[in-house]
Amino acid sequence: MAQSFLEVKNLRKEFGGLTATNDVSFSMGRNEIIGLIGPNGAGKTTLLRLIAGILKPTSGSISFKGKNITGSKAWDIVNMGVASTFQNMRPFRRLPIVANVMVSCLSPRSMRGGEWVKKVEAKAMDALEFAGISDVALEKASTLSQGDLKRLEVARAVATDPELLILDEPFGGLSPAETDLMAKSVARLHRGGRFGRLHSEGPAMIIIEHKLQQLMKIVDRIIVLNFGTILADGAPDVVVNDPKVIEAYLGDGGTSCS
Amino acid sequence: MRIVVAYTRRMLKILRSEVLVLPSRVAVLVFVIAILALPLVTQDYYILRIMILTSIFAILAASWDLLSGFTGQMNFGHALFFGVSAYVTALLNLNLGFPPYFSIPLGAMGAVLTGLIVGIPCLRLKGSYLALTTLAFPIILMGIVFAIPGITGGELGLSGLTKLTGSRVNDYYVTSILMLVLGGIMWKITDSNTGIILHAIREDEVAARAAGINTTRYKLLAFCLSGFFAGIAGGLYAHFMRLAGPSTLEIGLSFQVIIWSVFGGMVSIYGPIAGVYILNPFMEVLRVILDNFPSLPEMRMFIFAALVLLTLRFMPEGLIPWLRDKVETECPRCKVRNVAFRRSCRICNAAMT
Repeated sequence: MAQSFLEVKNLRKEFGGLTATNDVSFSMGRNEIIGLIGPNGAGKTTLLRLIAGILKPTSGSISFKGKNITGSKAWDIVNMGVASTFQNMRPFRRLPIVANVMVSCLSPRSMRGGEWVKKVEAKAMDALEFAGISDVALEKASTLSQGDLKRLEVARAVATDPELLILDEPFGGLSPAETDLMAKSVARLHRGGRFGRLHSEGPAMIIIEHKLQQLMKIVDRIIVLNFGTILADGAPDVVVNDPKVIEAYLGDGGTSCS
Repeated sequence: MRIVVAYTRRMLKILRSEVLVLPSRVAVLVFVIAILALPLVTQDYYILRIMILTSIFAILAASWDLLSGFTGQMNFGHALFFGVSAYVTALLNLNLGFPPYFSIPLGAMGAVLTGLIVGIPCLRLKGSYLALTTLAFPIILMGIVFAIPGITGGELGLSGLTKLTGSRVNDYYVTSILMLVLGGIMWKITDSNTGIILHAIREDEVAARAAGINTTRYKLLAFCLSGFFAGIAGGLYAHFMRLAGPSTLEIGLSFQVIIWSVFGGMVSIYGPIAGVYILNPFMEVLRVILDNFPSLPEMRMFIFAALVLLTLRFMPEGLIPWLRDKVETECPRCKVRNVAFRRSCRICNAAMT
């Protein structure tokens, strides 16, 4: 059997008495984009942080490209090719925006390329260009708007040349126009190619998002979490018409949103 | 001959177009020239002694800034590095007869080792917990020093080290030039890619990890670098005073370093150096003045404290960044600094508001 790209087995995380993710298992392929949805407090962000290594699971295992990465250091996981963004953006506030991205460009994974890529500032600028905020590159990160902070998060994650990109609410707090733009950027990134010095390997993606309409357009598959367990897993149009999902997500009497 | 003229021309050109355009650069230039020219003006023993101690403490304060200002690892026991290096230097010099140019770097290496030993248990600590833990280390070491007086000299310390150099003026040049060089190196470190990572660790460690940075390694690096520079200062101190005593480990010295740095302006290498060069001679001047008024014995510390408090009240960023913001403004477009009175940016010609 071929190694699956990302394999999550019986992943469980308990915060004191609260079980945030309860034996979650799924696997994904190299070229998939998975949408992860669920009501508030369903454990979506916890699941992503477990994969990214920011939290340690109570039990269960995660393997990435056949290697067990359960309990690895966050930076090792990033340097294997799993990049993630934060839902509540965490920029380095007192640094200029370009320096924020330069930190990612200085990671060993990002520096593994040739001399051309080692010009970190130029590469950081290309990442900002890709995210669409290169015009404010020299401003302090604390001056950015919410939407631009989201872009900064994406730029920072993309600058580590990920193979698996985990986006936590990339459209949260964006206007409809900005959302469209971001969705296009994400789709462009998934196709792969070069953006200046920035090399996209066409990463697989896991996207947490509440704006389902935009999400539907870009994902291949949707996983619905509720109370830490997987409620449904399948193609977008199948999942959103599943009565169980509608009940969990919208409560009784809700309608499909596709 | 023509090559000399050509190089002189180029130097003058750089001077005019790069240095004389900004008050802060002029200030640095004047400072360097003043430091180097001081012995031409006076060779007074007492003044030179104060300036030597000032330059040693300037290295110490800048090294604290590297660890606590840039990396954000609040170190309240910075005297540890100073003291360890002073003792190691003294032991090597007294027992093995190493000359200063050999014992001081080895003492600094001792401080680097100390940085590793302190840094590893401190990796998981943050904020006030880290501050309290680091505060404890010099106290522990002082206990050890008192416990084995046969090796460390106990309360009297180790005395009778070789002189740093033959004369006071040479001592002055050695310490001052080392201060300038090491300050330059520290500034260069903080200005490099490594410096950006250190900044990032201070701002948000989790986010730095999520960007693929091995924060453990860089925090230890900061501890070691800071220990190295503080160790050079400690070794210089031991050889200059010809004494390595428990006073080099005192809590008072640790706090003094913090006061100098916060007064001068943290997160800016030049701030702590300037802080030491302002406060340390100022204290000596106060001592001389107040000696004429024997009825006011404790006024010196009072004035010192009042000065620091007022500075922090009205210039929370520290004295030097405050002054710098007064005389220089940042171009809104290209973020290059300009003299405050310019109407347009010197680089991009954008209007300064």
